[in-house]
Amino acid sequence: MKKVNYEFRDKLNTVLGGFAHNYCYQCGACVGDCPAHRFLPEFNPRKIMLQAIYGLEEDLLGPDSLIWNCTNCYNCYERCPQEVHPIEVIIALKNMTREKGTQSPTVENILQRVNEKGVTVISTEMIKKRRAELGLPEYKLEGKEEIEKIMNS
Amino acid sequence: MQLMPFWGCMIPLKYPQMESAVRFTMEKLNVDLIDDNRLSCCPDPIYFKAGDKMKWLILAARNISIAEEKGLDLITMCSGCTATLCEVNHHLKEDASLKKEVNKKLKEIGREYKGTVEVRHLVTVLRDDIGLKKIRDSVKVPLEDVKVAIHYGCHLLKPSAIMKVEDPLTPTILAELIKATGAVPVDHKEYLMCCGKACKDVDISLNMTRAVFESVEESGADCLGLICPTCFDSFDIGQLRISRHFQKDFQIPVIYYFQLLALAQGATIEKVGIPYHKIMPKSFIEKLQPEPIMA
Ligand code: SF4
Ligand code: SF4
Repeated sequence: MKKVNYEFRDKLNTVLGGFAHNYCYQCGACVGDCPAHRFLPEFNPRKIMLQAIYGLEEDLLGPDSLIWNCTNCYNCYERCPQEVHPIEVIIALKNMTREKGTQSPTVENILQRVNEKGVTVISTEMIKKRRAELGLPEYKLEGKEEIEKIMNS
Repeated sequence: MQLMPFWGCMIPLKYPQMESAVRFTMEKLNVDLIDDNRLSCCPDPIYFKAGDKMKWLILAARNISIAEEKGLDLITMCSGCTATLCEVNHHLKEDASLKKEVNKKLKEIGREYKGTVEVRHLVTVLRDDIGLKKIRDSVKVPLEDVKVAIHYGCHLLKPSAIMKVEDPLTPTILAELIKATGAVPVDHKEYLMCCGKACKDVDISLNMTRAVFESVEESGADCLGLICPTCFDSFDIGQLRISRHFQKDFQIPVIYYFQLLALAQGATIEKVGIPYHKIMPKSFIEKLQPEPIMA
């Protein structure tokens, strides 16, 4: 039997900076317009909120967690009558996976690229050529040391 | 009018044709773009925010503080940048203790976030500051034959309490702006669908984009018009993937709004980088520019 995990609940409140999800009354208004749910019925923001309330850590933060299928569309944010903002709860859960090492590999890639380059897209010769063809100046980023300092603080 | 453009990563480093189109249109509308090379990644509202929310806030606040230095509003051309920068600007303006925490970190690099400028997507500047009339007056070759199905994308409009553009269920901003170029906006049923870029399960993204393509085909539109390089990525190069996956050859050209506007203002096909698009049927190019324009 699964048990309520109070420690997890406290931690989620801290990461989220609140406990809006505790006001979820399971109405399902967030489900109808959720595009991830439409194309993958197992993904269900109402259920994710229930799991968060129970503190079902394994389901939510494990390597097979469904949270990574959220498209970040903000429809649930708009629809929820309780201002739970399910998307923000999902993002807080994603933040929590990093400590466990179960985060999406893309998260680390993006953080690393910003740390190294200040941007997420690596410039290629083809794009340099296109910029020249279009009469655009060469792309350059200044102040990279500021970004590096923030990233490594 | 002076604005500070926030190009982000995708536009200058992957789709520079969008930058070229924006620069062309702004010149025609007498808007001065005051560039600043210190602006970094917004940072990304999906994976960066999911990885480290505090650093996400700090780096976004750093970008905003650069615009504050010059007293200019920070203007985005990508929905992702809009999401990050509008949201962070909103939270830091509302929450004094969060602002204090962020400023403590910014101080280490000699910066401060004050909360004195606005962040907005360029299309809202077109609608609210420049106005449809001026846009219509700037058009030299109305794109009368071009039927455009609109893809709004998610982050121009939502969360509506923060973005304050208009009701995300009944938006009209892009239809109005398309009409101003002389082109014809066409209704289609999936116009509010997400581009699917952020899902881990590729089947979800593929099915989402397919739903949009089928909806555009059904509508009889000539192309899909949008305002975000990430959505563009899903629909242009993404179309090759979808055609292969579902064994159905979609041929729906995808166009960034400012490319349409620039063409209507007299830019050449080359100037706005139309030849760089993966899906670009010749018949559509002929509709965009029936008479070749001398550069
Ligand atoms: S709409 Fe809000 S209250 Fe209703 S189930 Fe979803 S999160 Fe819970
Ligand atoms: S933000 Fe995520 S959970 Fe919310 S409606 Fe969109 S896909 Fe569903």
